[in-house]
Amino acid sequence: MDDIELKQLWKAYDHKLERSLALNLHIVTAIQTQKANAKLRSLAIFKKIAVVIGILWVIFLGCCVLHSFAYQKIFFVVSALAVMIITSITILLYIYQIVLIRQINNSESITATQTKLSVLQASTLQGVRIAFLQMPFYTTFFFSPAWISSDWAFWLIPLPITLVFATAAIWLYRNINFKNADKKWFRVLFNTPEWKNVIKAKEFVGEIEKFKEEL
Amino acid sequence: MQTANDNFLILLQENKRILFKICNAYCNNAADREDLAQEMIYQLWKSFQSYNTEYRFSTWMYRVALNVAISFYRKEKRTFQKVMIGDQVLTLTDDNLSSSELEANIILLQQFIHELKELDRALMLLYLEEKSYLEIAEILGITETNIATKISRIKEKLKTRFRNINTF
Repeated sequence: MDDIELKQLWKAYDHKLERSLALNLHIVTAIQTQKANAKLRSLAIFKKIAVVIGILWVIFLGCCVLHSFAYQKIFFVVSALAVMIITSITILLYIYQIVLIRQINNSESITATQTKLSVLQASTLQGVRIAFLQMPFYTTFFFSPAWISSDWAFWLIPLPITLVFATAAIWLYRNINFKNADKKWFRVLFNTPEWKNVIKAKEFVGEIEKFKEEL
Repeated sequence: MQTANDNFLILLQENKRILFKICNAYCNNAADREDLAQEMIYQLWKSFQSYNTEYRFSTWMYRVALNVAISFYRKEKRTFQKVMIGDQVLTLTDDNLSSSELEANIILLQQFIHELKELDRALMLLYLEEKSYLEIAEILGITETNIATKISRIKEKLKTRFRNINTF
């Protein structure tokens, strides 16, 4: 089949559609109104809510820290400050994602829009990596110098738990990346359709780059 | 006096075949096709305010509709809100083509397009719609030379495919 035959075939298909394809205007009107009402559920709104909650959480922790400057509360202060820093980094990442969402425009070229969408999806993995770093600090905020010096049980139970959490957090931070996407532990941890989309998005960024390359 | 909505409906009516062809190229089943058609119409309506009348409507429409279709196709779990009315937004009143050989070839061509990667699929649709290389380059965001090379490769594959089928 040559070029002309191919295009003639497509034209025949087009003519058939011209004769028999009907657009249901009643549904088009419903789409225009009903779908617009569903805009509130959009991804950007979810991220904006997360930013507001994150900021409130950081402010709350900041207030607690301001009222806790005492030697006996040193562990609480350090833990809260660490959580504040990590939460702030996550908030910044979410703000970056909101900016990306605002930049996405379906009227732009396909490679430009799809790259932005895929970069946006892939960046959610960064948020998870950073969030895991908070884990050990939630096990240390109730420590106190008095408890450490007076109770042997501290060395047997709370401290090992913290060490386990700290090791796990550092390991996850270092290993949660797209290079490990085919590892079994990674697939178990990110076994939801949303995460599969994120992994596929990263692969698609590579495909788009390849597509754009001159052959 | 015509409102923006009237204009939109007229242009959509004139170009409905584009939507149908894209839905067929990116979806395997009727339910997905309906979801995608609805999502494309919604996104077109949402972006219609930014449509620059200096450009051809069909070029703009291809850009928006193909972007929506590729995003839709790539989703593992689809969560688009669907308008439930019981009818389809795009319907064929006559499912049969005039000649059975023609029908078979069209099905084969659609099948082949469906086997291509998402971006190649968009490229092939635009090529078959007889868009110029410049227009295809603008829609896809790649160079004209790159388009020429890619199209000739896809066509080669397609010819081999048809040849193999015809020899059986």
